Amino acid sequence: MSISRREFLKVSAAATAASTIGVSLLPGMQKELFADGLNWHKSVCRFCGVGCGIMIGEKNGKVVAVKGDVKNTINKGHLCVKGFYLHKVVYAKTRLLHPMIKKNGKFERVSWDEALDYVAKKFNQIRKQHGPDALAFYGSGQAETEETYIANKLFKGAIGTNNMEGNPRLCMASAVGGYLTSFGKDEPAGTYADIEKAELFLLVGSNTAEAHPILFERIMRHKAKNPDVKIIIIDPRKTPTDQVADLHLFPKPGWDLAILHAMARILIKEGYADENFIKQSVNFKDNKKNLTYEEYKQFLEQFTPEKAAQISGVEPDKIVKAARMFGKAKTAMSMWTMGLNQRTRGVWANNLVTNLHLITGKIGVPGSDSFSLTGQPNACGGVREGGGLCHLLPAHRSVKNPKHRAEVAKVWGVPVSNIQPKPGKHTVAMFEALNKGEIKGIYIMCTNPAQSLPNASKYWKGLKEQFVVVAESFFPTATTDYADVVLPAAFWSEKEGVYGCTERRSQYMEQVIKPQGEARWDAFILRDLAIKMGFKKYFEKYKTAEDIWSEYISLTKGTDMDLSGAPYSRLKKLRGITWPVPSVDHPGTYKRYTKGDPIFDALPAAKKKGRRMYFYGKPDGKAVVWARPPKGPEEPTDAEYPLALSTGRVLEHWHTMTMTGTVPELVRAVPKAYVEINPQDAKKMGIEDKEQVIVETRRGKLKIEARVIDRPEPGTIFIPWHWKQWMANILTIDAFDPGSKEPEYKVCAAKIKKA
Amino acid sequence: MRKLFIVLLMLVTAGLLVNLTSLKNAQTKEKHPDVDFSVSCVECHTEVTPDVVKDWKSSKHGEMNFGCYMCHGDGQQEFYARPGSQRCISCHPAYEVDFSKTKASNCFDCHQGHTLKFHKTDE
Repeated sequence: MSISRREFLKVSAAATAASTIGVSLLPGMQKELFADGLNWHKSVCRFCGVGCGIMIGEKNGKVVAVKGDVKNTINKGHLCVKGFYLHKVVYAKTRLLHPMIKKNGKFERVSWDEALDYVAKKFNQIRKQHGPDALAFYGSGQAETEETYIANKLFKGAIGTNNMEGNPRLCMASAVGGYLTSFGKDEPAGTYADIEKAELFLLVGSNTAEAHPILFERIMRHKAKNPDVKIIIIDPRKTPTDQVADLHLFPKPGWDLAILHAMARILIKEGYADENFIKQSVNFKDNKKNLTYEEYKQFLEQFTPEKAAQISGVEPDKIVKAARMFGKAKTAMSMWTMGLNQRTRGVWANNLVTNLHLITGKIGVPGSDSFSLTGQPNACGGVREGGGLCHLLPAHRSVKNPKHRAEVAKVWGVPVSNIQPKPGKHTVAMFEALNKGEIKGIYIMCTNPAQSLPNASKYWKGLKEQFVVVAESFFPTATTDYADVVLPAAFWSEKEGVYGCTERRSQYMEQVIKPQGEARWDAFILRDLAIKMGFKKYFEKYKTAEDIWSEYISLTKGTDMDLSGAPYSRLKKLRGITWPVPSVDHPGTYKRYTKGDPIFDALPAAKKKGRRMYFYGKPDGKAVVWARPPKGPEEPTDAEYPLALSTGRVLEHWHTMTMTGTVPELVRAVPKAYVEINPQDAKKMGIEDKEQVIVETRRGKLKIEARVIDRPEPGTIFIPWHWKQWMANILTIDAFDPGSKEPEYKVCAAKIKKA
Repeated sequence: MRKLFIVLLMLVTAGLLVNLTSLKNAQTKEKHPDVDFSVSCVECHTEVTPDVVKDWKSSKHGEMNFGCYMCHGDGQQEFYARPGSQRCISCHPAYEVDFSKTKASNCFDCHQGHTLKFHKTDE
């Protein structure tokens, strides 16, 4: 190894200094030793919804390193294994570098003009012959808010169809439904700042350690410092999150609603209810009518611990213990994710967790919140807030509301008649319509539905038969296999924009390098497509990302998610800000619906009198405690399919692996998929560890390696869903929640045999 | 004075060697034995180096399931038998140390690589 003279002198000087000073660390002795020659730029992690701050190390126009952003309040400099390797993804061999059109079954490189002319012509033909609803857009919680905003305007405001969806339908829609029905407004009341103030955590359907590792680390540190902090898990499977658990309830997959009702019953019966808060701030309802508090108590009477145990399979004493722990803790924070959301009664499950907080008053105070964890980095910011679903418009508006349509049309500069009052097709219906030929052209941006849809193989027909445009950073994917046109999209670090994470925090990301190859920013691809389709007057004004963000935040002014105080000029200086933030001098909001929330603070005194919280999304400011039936999964196990199949994640991979599959270290960490089988079940079936087995459901069969391990309970199996070659979604069920339209990835009936 | 000079010279040389070594470790690609790479690092090392895996599992990295590859590379394209500090800094930038002002030359002079505990005191 050679060393330059400069390096030699530097090392000598360092060694001299070490020998002469010879002391350990002191304040002020830290310097950016590893940053020599690197320019560091502020950004946000591209993976899950936690929103960790990442500093991008750039040298000579290349991204060469990342490090955690110590100034970011979320991760305080720490990164998980995926974020740690994010810089490697930028230069993946699978980056899509040029536009391509499929000609005679093969992709051929074409110019941007040729590609966009072709797409514009095809889309206009379809629109003219079959109407606007024969077109659709399917986007992503990974797209920036600016990108989703332009797509929303193109499809809802210019083309005139509400067939505009995004993959958050598959992960967060039940949480949206839960918040809307419980509080009247979407997204959590609190923030991550509650973590370090909580005495108890209730983790339901969340493998926090693997799906949200940095939040898990915060919980772990908090517990390490405060040994009295308790953690309860309700999840059918033992996971790495268990290492911090004080109590784990293992329900049969999909049968946990009765547990939550039983806990509510015990909390009230044993005096843990906050009767004053209930009187001030809570209404009771069942699926048909309003209830009195007494009627709600009567409803709960059926959910004795024994009855809940019979339904859920959890021991009654554990249910009692969990309820008492929740009741005794002065503060409690519930967290949940796909285990509750991806269910045919996901909205109800969300409601029932929030019920526990509402009846005990453990909400609206530091350390207490019912807090949904988000799976994608901008599912909240771009799609929930940006209105990127078929029934929404920007800033929590609805297409059904004429006032909302008028407000949005005015800012978009389009005739209000362009925006249809009827919601478009939700995700599963959209891909069904593609199968049926009702939708004839679709633009898919930054997502991989051919692999990520439930019962995936059912929907390959439509993708194969209709005109499919895929804007992506990576190629090939399961979805580009079916594309007629692929458009190379700029990746993280190659574009600027805003991500909004789980805790209502919007964070600005710098563009650090030029896009690879001919890749372009998704928002400008869409803008130019719009212009080529004949919508120049609506789109030519967008010259920069800031133009788009500024217009978007003007639409948020005066809403519950006011971001008008967060222009680029401010976001560039901050590590994000939590809305509502109604003015540029507002510090952002920690707790909603209570003192310190600018909307609460501005309410007339008479409305707030005697009330700690006012849920302004509800007509009387009262949140709703729901008496929901304890419905189980759509496809319970039976004699033919005796095992409950659940799918989920591993720490090292993310979604369909288009990113993590390009990082050798992450591939090495978990090289292949497997099915987890409880040793008791494996013994009964004569299946050995690492043996090849066939997992079969009513929808498909998958040959996969068995992992005999005590993580799943007997009667339950689990497959991590990331791999294209072991595609778990050919097995999953596409039944969905009638309210949220979110599919039940988490439970279906299966059987296993030796391969 | 002469004695002080010799001591200083020895310290400088020692420091230089340590620094050069750490530089070399960080930049040289060593070779991992050719094994069945379709098996994950932890799975294989649980059999071949169980004590190392046990140490790692007892550490913060083990608790978080931050595996071998974080420090040692994937074993094929990149492999560091004795990793330097650069990789630590990506996740621990708050502990970015100016080693020129310490007795240590890299993180592992103080921290055991797998337990992450301090070498001598075991704290």
